[in-house]
Amino acid sequence: MYRRRAAIAEPVILWFEDRKITAAPGDSLAAALLAAGVSVFRRAPVSGAKRGPFCMIGNCFECLVEIDGQGVVQACSTEVRQGMRVYMPRGQSPGEGD
Amino acid sequence: MRHLDIAVVGGGLLGSAFAYGLSSRGVQVGLIDEGDNAIRTARGNFGLVWVQGKGRGMPEYARWTLASARAWADFSAQLGEETGTATGYHQPGGFFVAISKDEFNHNLKLLEQLRKEAGADGYEYEVVENPALREHLPGIGPEVPGATYCPHDGHANPLQLLRALQEGFERNGGSYIPRSRISEIRPLAAGGFEIFNGDRLVTGCEKLVIAAGHGSGDLGRQLGMDIPIHPVQGQVVVTERSPAHLAYPTNYVRKTDEGYFMLGPSARDTGFDLETETTTLRDIVRQCSKAFPYLRGLRIQRSWAALRIMTPDGFPVYAQSRDFPGAFSFSCHSGVTLAALHAREVPQWVLAGEIPSEHRCFGLERFDVSA
Amino acid sequence: MNAIPVRPEVVVVGAGPAGMAAACTLAESGVEVLVLDEQPAPGGQVYREVEKVHAERPEDLAALGTQYRVGLELVRRFRHSGAGYLPRTSVWEITAASEPELAIGTLRDGAAQMLYPRHIILATGAMERPTPFPGWTLPGVMTVGAAQTLLKTSGLIPAGRIVLAGTGPLLYLYASQLLATGTRPEAILDTRPATSMGALASLLPALAGQPGALLRGLGWMRAVRGSIPVFSRVTALKALGDECMASVSYESAGQSHELKAELLLVHDGVIPNTWLAMAAGIQHHFDQRQACWVPDVRGVGRTSRESIAIVGDGAAIQGAEVAILQGERLAHEVLGQLRTPKGPVQPTPAEPTALRQQRLLQRFLKRYFPPTAYFQLPLDDSTIVCRCEEITAGEIRKVAALGCVGPNQAKAFTRCGMGPCMGRKCAATVSQLIAQVRGLPVAEVGHYRIRPPIRPLTVGQLADMSIAGEESGAPSGAGAVADLLTPGDQ
Repeated sequence: MYRRRAAIAEPVILWFEDRKITAAPGDSLAAALLAAGVSVFRRAPVSGAKRGPFCMIGNCFECLVEIDGQGVVQACSTEVRQGMRVYMPRGQSPGEGD
Repeated sequence: MRHLDIAVVGGGLLGSAFAYGLSSRGVQVGLIDEGDNAIRTARGNFGLVWVQGKGRGMPEYARWTLASARAWADFSAQLGEETGTATGYHQPGGFFVAISKDEFNHNLKLLEQLRKEAGADGYEYEVVENPALREHLPGIGPEVPGATYCPHDGHANPLQLLRALQEGFERNGGSYIPRSRISEIRPLAAGGFEIFNGDRLVTGCEKLVIAAGHGSGDLGRQLGMDIPIHPVQGQVVVTERSPAHLAYPTNYVRKTDEGYFMLGPSARDTGFDLETETTTLRDIVRQCSKAFPYLRGLRIQRSWAALRIMTPDGFPVYAQSRDFPGAFSFSCHSGVTLAALHAREVPQWVLAGEIPSEHRCFGLERFDVSA
Repeated sequence: MNAIPVRPEVVVVGAGPAGMAAACTLAESGVEVLVLDEQPAPGGQVYREVEKVHAERPEDLAALGTQYRVGLELVRRFRHSGAGYLPRTSVWEITAASEPELAIGTLRDGAAQMLYPRHIILATGAMERPTPFPGWTLPGVMTVGAAQTLLKTSGLIPAGRIVLAGTGPLLYLYASQLLATGTRPEAILDTRPATSMGALASLLPALAGQPGALLRGLGWMRAVRGSIPVFSRVTALKALGDECMASVSYESAGQSHELKAELLLVHDGVIPNTWLAMAAGIQHHFDQRQACWVPDVRGVGRTSRESIAIVGDGAAIQGAEVAILQGERLAHEVLGQLRTPKGPVQPTPAEPTALRQQRLLQRFLKRYFPPTAYFQLPLDDSTIVCRCEEITAGEIRKVAALGCVGPNQAKAFTRCGMGPCMGRKCAATVSQLIAQVRGLPVAEVGHYRIRPPIRPLTVGQLADMSIAGEESGAPSGAGAVADLLTPGDQ
C-alpha cells in the first residue's frame, strides 16, 4: 500500500509476528509496518474482523499492537527501536491465530 | 388526558425493575424518566450480585439479599427469553478479598457476627488464605493475606440489565416517557395523582411508585414521606480487554464477559459532584494492583463516577405514604443484587396496596427519633 | 531542560502553530512557559516534522509545498524563544474545577506526573471529521490526513491503485502533493454538493482579502483535474472486499461505478479535537452548519474555566495562519490575566487586518466545502458507526427508538463510545442518529460525557504516580470505603 521514497541509511531491525521488518530511525511503528507491506495490525474485538491503521495521528486506535515488555500500544504513536518484538494484540478478540 | 393505572417515577435500576414487573400483570404502566444528562446512578453500578457481608444489624436485609440472589438466575433467564438481551449473569460464587491483615481480620469478624445474627437463616462461607487462594484466583498478589468465599455471590452487566428491563417493559405494553423530570405530585380528591414536569402535566395515575434515586427525597416529602437519602460518590476504573483469567467476581476487581476488568471500589462525600478525582482513581488502581499485580500492565480505557443512593444505615427504604396509600417510595443502593425481587415481589405489594408486615422493617419508622 | 518545573506559570498543550505562537510570545515577554507535545518535534500536524524533512528529505520538502515550508521559520523562532519544550509527552487529564488545585496529568518516558500551572492554554488542534460508510473499517481504507502524515514523518507514498474520496481543501492539497511525487491516483470521488448561494456570496469578500490563498487553491485543483479523473456529486460510496479492501463502488451523475483499488483515502474536512477540553469540563455547543462540537469561547480564547484558554483549530477551524495570529493575541490576553489576576477583564484588542481577511477566506471555504450529508447520517443500517466496539447505525437507531434520548444512554445500552477511541470517531454520528430518530435538535441530544484518562495510561503508571501534598492530604475515597459502605455494596 505504501512505498518509501528514500533508501534507509541506518536500518532499524524489528520483528512483527516473527517476521523481520526493516525500518528507518524515527519511523513510527505504524509507518514501518505499512512500508513493509503489513496492512493488518489486529482483529476487531467482537467479530474478529481484520483491522489496520486509519488516522495515523492517535485518534482512532485501530493501529493497536502488542510489544514484548510494553503491552498493547498505538503503533502510530510509538517510535521504532532496534530488536522490538511486535505482535497482533493477543487475548482481545475471537479469530486470533487465524 | 392520559390516566395510567400505575406511574413509576424514575427509569433507573429500581424503577425499571418495578415497571417491568408491574407491566406483566395486565395493568397500564408508565415509566417516567429524565433525559440523558442527569445523575443517572444506574449507569455507575459495578455489577455485583452480592450476598456475603451484608446486613449487619438487620438480619432481615441479609435474608432479603439471599432471597434475591437465589432468584436471580431464573429472573435473568426469563428476561433473556422475553427480550433477547442477556444480562451476563454468572454465579460462580464470589471472593471477598482483603489486601491487608487488618482488613482481613475486620472482614472475618464481620462475617462471624452476621452468622450469629442470622442463626438458621444464615449462608455458608469459607475462609481461604494465601497461598491456597492462588488456586482459585491465579495471579493474586503476595500481599493479600486471604479472602472469604461465598457460593451465592455472582455478577452481571448492570447496563444490559437496565436495557433488558426496559425492553421487557415495552414489550409488555408499558409506556416509557423520557425527558420528563417530575417536580410536583398532586393528589386528586377522587383518588389517584397528577404528576408535573414544571407546568406541564405529564400524566395522571391511580397509583404511584417513586423510584427517582436522589430525586426521591423531594418527591416523597410532597406526600408525607421523608426519605433520608444522601449521595456517596463512587468511582470505577475499566481496563482494556485482556486474556488474563479471573473466574470469580471479587469486591475489588471483576472480569466482564466482554473481556475487560472493572476496578473499584471507592466512596467519598462530594455532595452531588459527578467529577472523577485523580487521587481516588490513583488509589483504586493501587489497591487493585495489590490484589492482582498483573493488572499493572493493562491500559485504563475509561473511568466514571456515580452517586450512590445511601440511607443512614445503608439498608433499603420501602415506604408507603400514610396520607395517600396509593403512593409508594422505594430507594436503595443495591439495585443489581435486589433486581430479581424488585421485578417479582415488590410489584405485588403495590398491586395489593400494602407492604407485607415482614418487610415493614424497611419502612421509614426506623428513622423516627422519638422519645 | 533537565528538571521539569512542577509549577510553571503557564502550560501550553500542543506544539502546532497556535501553541508555538502563544508560547513564543509569552516566553519572549519573560513568562515561564512549558509546552507539552505528544510529538518528538514541534510543528503539530500541519508542520509535522518540518525540521527533519528540511534537513534530510529535500525531495519531500519540495513535494509538500510552500505552505508547509513556512512552518520552519515558526519552529526556529520557537526553539529560540526560551519556552520550555517537553516532546514525547502526553496529557491524559486536567483536574476538575471542583478539585482544590488546577493540575494537569502527564505521561513521559512511561512515568505519570502531575503538573500544577497557574494557567493552561489548550492548542490541541483538529482532527478529521468522521466519515462512516459501508466498508470503511476494512484494511486499505485510511484518511487523507493519515497518508499526508506518512509522507511528512517517513517519506512514504501510496503504491498500487489509489482512490481519493470525500472533499475539502486538504484532499486537493494532498492530491497535488502526490502528483508532485510522481504518483497518480486512479480517481478522485468528490462528494461536494452543488455550490450554495451562501458560498457564492462569501467568495468575493474572500477574494478581496486573500487573493493569494484562493489562487493557490485554484492552482491545486486545476493541476489535479488536469491529471486525475474527478467525479463530482459522488454518493453511495462503499468499500468492498472480503477481509481487506479490493474495490470501491459509488454513484455519480446517475450512474453506478466500481473501481479496483488497494488504498482508499477519505477526507471530509476537519473539526476541533475537543476531548481534553471536554474532559476538563469546559462548556461546548453544537455547530449545526459544521456538524461538530465547538468550545464556548469569549474574547480570543477564554473558556468557561477561568484558568484555561483554547486557541487554534481546537477552538474553531480557521487554519494555520489564523492559529498563529490568535496564538499571539491570546498570549497578550493571558499576560494580562497573569499580571492582574483579580483585575477587570481587558477588552479584546481589535482584530488585525490579516486576521479579518483570513476569516473571510475560511468562511468561504466552509460554505464551499460543507460536511457531506452521506457521511453525517448513514443511510445503510449495517454501516459500522462505533468502530471500536463494532456498533452499527441500525443498533443506534434501535435503542433510540427504545427510548435512549441521548448518547450516554445509547452508550450504556450498546457500548458505543466505550472503546479506546472514547467516541472520537463516532460521537458526532451517534448524536445525529439519535436526533434523527427522536426528532430532537442535536444540541439537545448532547454529547458523550468525556472523562480521564483521555490518552493511554496503564494501571501501573497511575498507581506509581505521586500527587503533591498527599502526605498531609485528606484520606482518599478508596481507603475510606470500609467506613461508608457495607462490603459488596458497590
